[in-house]
Amino acid sequence: MNARTHPVPEQFDDPVQQREAATLGMWAFLATEILFFGVLFAGYTLCRVRFPEAFAEASRHTDMLLGTIETAVLLTSSCAVALSVREVQLGGRRLATALLGVTALLGISFLVMHGFEYYAEYQEGLIPSIHYTQQGVYAHGMAIFYCLYYFITGFHSIHVTIGVVLMGVMGWRTWHGAFDQDYHTPLELTALYWHLVDIVWIFVYPVIYLVGRAG
Amino acid sequence: MNARPQRTHKSGPRPPSLGSNLWTLLALLVLLGLSAGSALLRLGPFNTVANLGIAVIKALLVLTIFMRLKTDNALLRIVASVGFAWLAVMIALGLADVLTRTPLLPPW
Repeated sequence: MNARTHPVPEQFDDPVQQREAATLGMWAFLATEILFFGVLFAGYTLCRVRFPEAFAEASRHTDMLLGTIETAVLLTSSCAVALSVREVQLGGRRLATALLGVTALLGISFLVMHGFEYYAEYQEGLIPSIHYTQQGVYAHGMAIFYCLYYFITGFHSIHVTIGVVLMGVMGWRTWHGAFDQDYHTPLELTALYWHLVDIVWIFVYPVIYLVGRAG
Repeated sequence: MNARPQRTHKSGPRPPSLGSNLWTLLALLVLLGLSAGSALLRLGPFNTVANLGIAVIKALLVLTIFMRLKTDNALLRIVASVGFAWLAVMIALGLADVLTRTPLLPPW
């Protein structure tokens, strides 16, 4: 549907109220996402208090350089999608589509880098109950760390994958003129989702990659 | 029939300027560097404090500038805060249990 012909559904007084309702609904969903990942972070916190040395040892087995690059990639992609929404609000279309493409590509590169990490961890024997070869006093605590690691980063990667697909859809719609200064709520909500996935990673980075590095 | 006159301003808050978006990205990348750098220094418990503190600042930057909570509807700021507040309650109560457990010896 073309943005210029987008009708306001009858339950809303005007486009402003429609947008307010949509963003409020999106934020309510994002709050549930915060709690979804929050459970995993809460579990992590309790286990780290219980096995501090094992968590530090396990964290030293992760790839800090790749983790840092992945964080930079996601932060940059967040800026790209924010600029894309801004461009649409200012009436642009080409640059907005290109920025969405950049966001999707950065998301894909994040997933590829994470794939390399998983492969390296498989080779190192760091996947509990699939291929786990760690020995010693910390082996049990490290297994708990790696279980949490795969759940947190696995669910995060699923969210990134969904985000990449949504960026593709939004890019396609932006290119075909579905959004303009007056109507761009779907693009705005997709950007909010992407930013939240970025925020989750902002917290994953220090708790997974940076523990016990100074030792 | 409309109960209220149609509001005609462009939907959504005014977009942040190009400069503020790019400065935010720069600040985020500098904070990332600080985070990685400080993790390599031997600071004891302050390693964790620094890392989490920097993460909170980064998250606030994304929330206020990229997600536009600074300029958007106040109701959205409340909903966003509530999400994090419940999470804080969950972690605080969980920790309150684990940190205050004392092993009780059987009385016999």
